[in-house]
Amino acid sequence: MSKKGKKDLRRAISRRGLLLAGGQLALTGLLAGRLYQLQVAQSSRYKGLSDRNQFDMRVVSPRRGRLYDRNMRLLAGNAESFQLRVTPLFVDDLERTLASLLTIVDLTPEQITNVLDTAKKVPSFQDIVVRDDLSQRELARLAVRSALLSGVSFGRSLRRIYPQGILGCHVTGYVSPVTRNEIEADQTLRALPDLGTGKIGVEFTHEQRLRGVPGRERIEVNAKGQPIRVFQDVAASAGQDLRLSLDMGIQLHAADALRQGRLTPVKLGSSEVQKAIAENAELRAHIAVGDEMILRDEKKRLVPPESGAAVVIDVETGGIVSLVSAPMFDPNLFTGRLLTRDWQRLNNHPRTPLLNRAISGLYAPGSTFKMVVGLAALEAGVISQKTRFSCPGHMELGNAKFHCWRKDGHGAVNLVSALEQSCDVFFYEIALKTGIKKIKDMARRLGLGDSTGLDLHGEKSGIVPSHEWKLAHHGKVWTPGETVVAGIGQGYVLATPLQLAVMTARIANGRKAVTPRLLTNDMTSPDDFAPLDIAPAALDVVRQGMVKVMYGGLGTARTHKLADTLGGMAGKTGTVQVKRITKAQREEGIISNIDRPWAERDHALFVAYAPIKKPRYAIAVVVEHGGSGSAAAAPVARDIMAKTIKTLGVA
Amino acid sequence: MTMWRALLRMPWHLLLLAAILVTVGAMALYSASQGSWQPWAGRHIVRAAVGLAMVLVVAFVDINLIRRMSYAFLVLAVMVLAALMVVGSGTGVARWISIGGMNLQPSEPAKIAVILALARYFDSQPLDRFQSIITYLPALAMIALPFLLVLKQPDLGTALMLALGGLSIIFAAGLPWRYVIGSIVVVVASVPVLWSQLHAYQKARVMTFLNPEADILGAGYQITQSKIALGSGGFFGKGFLMGSQSQLNYLPEKQTDFVFTMIGEEFGFAGNLFILMVYLTICLFILRISYRVKSRFSRLTCIGIAMMLFFYMFVNVGMVTGLLPVVGAPLPLISYGGTAMLTVFLGLGIVASAIIHDRREQ
Repeated sequence: MSKKGKKDLRRAISRRGLLLAGGQLALTGLLAGRLYQLQVAQSSRYKGLSDRNQFDMRVVSPRRGRLYDRNMRLLAGNAESFQLRVTPLFVDDLERTLASLLTIVDLTPEQITNVLDTAKKVPSFQDIVVRDDLSQRELARLAVRSALLSGVSFGRSLRRIYPQGILGCHVTGYVSPVTRNEIEADQTLRALPDLGTGKIGVEFTHEQRLRGVPGRERIEVNAKGQPIRVFQDVAASAGQDLRLSLDMGIQLHAADALRQGRLTPVKLGSSEVQKAIAENAELRAHIAVGDEMILRDEKKRLVPPESGAAVVIDVETGGIVSLVSAPMFDPNLFTGRLLTRDWQRLNNHPRTPLLNRAISGLYAPGSTFKMVVGLAALEAGVISQKTRFSCPGHMELGNAKFHCWRKDGHGAVNLVSALEQSCDVFFYEIALKTGIKKIKDMARRLGLGDSTGLDLHGEKSGIVPSHEWKLAHHGKVWTPGETVVAGIGQGYVLATPLQLAVMTARIANGRKAVTPRLLTNDMTSPDDFAPLDIAPAALDVVRQGMVKVMYGGLGTARTHKLADTLGGMAGKTGTVQVKRITKAQREEGIISNIDRPWAERDHALFVAYAPIKKPRYAIAVVVEHGGSGSAAAAPVARDIMAKTIKTLGVA
Repeated sequence: MTMWRALLRMPWHLLLLAAILVTVGAMALYSASQGSWQPWAGRHIVRAAVGLAMVLVVAFVDINLIRRMSYAFLVLAVMVLAALMVVGSGTGVARWISIGGMNLQPSEPAKIAVILALARYFDSQPLDRFQSIITYLPALAMIALPFLLVLKQPDLGTALMLALGGLSIIFAAGLPWRYVIGSIVVVVASVPVLWSQLHAYQKARVMTFLNPEADILGAGYQITQSKIALGSGGFFGKGFLMGSQSQLNYLPEKQTDFVFTMIGEEFGFAGNLFILMVYLTICLFILRISYRVKSRFSRLTCIGIAMMLFFYMFVNVGMVTGLLPVVGAPLPLISYGGTAMLTVFLGLGIVASAIIHDRREQ
């Protein structure tokens, strides 16, 4: 390597360095020129902008769209609430002012640091909200003393209210203050810290329509920062009002019927009840979340209301007429400042009131699944309407013995009488002959195993098992015994109450794959539903069986008929074991539900449609640990259906 | 080398100029909190003192040791940036790392790592290869990797500054002119293509830069307010603690990215020009040092550090005066924020080491 070459390179680097230095000089000159332009040449213009009057922009929150039921009864509205504000410009010592406010209203340390932080960031003439949602008592106290505190003022704002209280909680959901995650996802929310956003329910799913578009105000202030005038640049446009297909009259009735069940309400005031509440943690949890219903069961024990779900759906339009999940909660708790105490009570409640059981609760459908199996068998041609099987009370497959719910058996039964009496052995037989693949296919067509697409957040898809499903989820091969168990809707099969209502609505409708809808604003015309694609003759047989459940001499729900004047009702009971019955227990005699601990009792299910001739409404009822479907769920479904037809008619 | 000789060769003039900028910064931060050492000005001075101490320590490290470690620094920087990507992916912003209660932004010292690695790379290339384009490709990769990681954070401003610092070393190392001009042509020609690839919000940001009045509540608000504050300062400013725009909180981020504006309102054109001159003087002094040192590594490193410091100043001042889009760039030594200050002091320390330990090229 030559010495000269090295020298050349050093020179080259130096030359380039010189060029870079020249570049720096030129760019700095550019900056200096720009500064000269702003600060010397155009200075008077900017001085004018600064000295004369200044504008400050303020974003104006839009009014949130309201929610109504089908009769325009208000489900969610906006009420005025009072805010406590400070204007740092007029406050001498912000920390002292806040300290004295602390003696007048409730303020958390976070709220105080929040105000202090905000004060550093925003123009000092801008109001800062110290507290939202002042109570009447706080307002009165402030009215007297705030005159002594300069820079403290009141403002009005809108607060979301749910006038129906707990009744609509799982449908409307609730609105609560914007969270940090939401701001990350949507920067436009940063400018609207006071605005609430929907967290669950319709408030969440239709957030964009309900929210509206924020407006903008220009506030003219003088050099000292005092506001002079307010201009409205862009008016806020209110969110869209939405009308739901829900009927609050029916909803109230359904909630009462479901929660009360077969229990007898008691008066809270009596000393016996008070004593029981003091001793029983579960009762205390109910009272703590504001539920004032305490009841007495058959054994004279004091118990909380039943939990479960009830869904009523229009068989033609798919409109949800009523959707109840129990226990319930008061959505008004969330709109203002949710107290940690309330939040903990709701979260620690043993029966999870925040869970919407109608769409997120998964239950084995039990015998209500038998229509699916019957339809699949008819379609596969493995049975006809007349095919009979003999039920000796159990069926044997290999080493396993599958029991019928009736120890002595049902004798020879066909599909209609097997549905009527809910004979398990008949469905074991036809499930085996049909195979799980065809059962799954039928179940999917009836709306099971996939989310129904209702506009509520958090809907579960349930499970309709198959060979592939088991391999994928359990890594094991499907066995015939599992087909047998699936034949009576147990084992892996899981469905939500909403799915069971949709299934029943599709059986009742017979032509279209009815899909549930909550908004009347965009209710699809019934013609838009996909065709159901199940043979009418097969559906007819299954519907006959469902009629027999109510009207047959041995029908499992014959004691809970819907009045003939209302057109009668067809249905199907379901009783789902929660705990496996051991062989020893079976020999000793099964302990009746009422004597078992609550959590070990059977789930009671009932699905039905009415009227029989021209079906208009379908219903699904699940009473968690309620006992048998015929005794616990059928009467509830009957009462709700009666109320529905009386209220809405069948036209 | 004796301690005494080392101290004699220390570039005290650079440290004096840096101290002047720190003092200006402390005054501005004192004013930004309405005449209080809390919460910014006091900590600013403490950090600067730590930074100066660091310069002295780094100055005594042999530049050859730094040279030997330079690839390791780059690997470390890339690893930390990549780790941030993994750790921060859940929260969306992967810019910060927390060490002992201090929040550090690894993308700032990464700029120095890139400079050192490139300087070493060109230092080790045989002379006859400087005309070939192949020689410059590994150098581009050394820039591209950290650049993409920082871009992904996402921090467009820092990523661009990092790339510009690296590219200026490639330029200084003697990239033949045909390639320099060629790449400029390619960049200009690809603008329309890139534009069509941008996300809607990125386009919106560029449009805001071209017409700030349109977005009066977002980035446009900052620029409009910044221009009012600067312009109303006039030639000599409104006086210390008298800037109404800043004191009334019209000016956002006045303690960090918009500190130059705040100084402009209170000390006017004269004050701003003074700051520009101090920065420029520091940069030119470092470039002059690059002439004096003998080793190619030291020479390129000094050029890189001078350019890094200059780009900090240029991007920040360009941004607050509305010449460049709002990308979020600090004004080191003046604005409140530890990592940029630390990076600059680290750079000064390396320059000092380059002078003190300068030897004949082997």
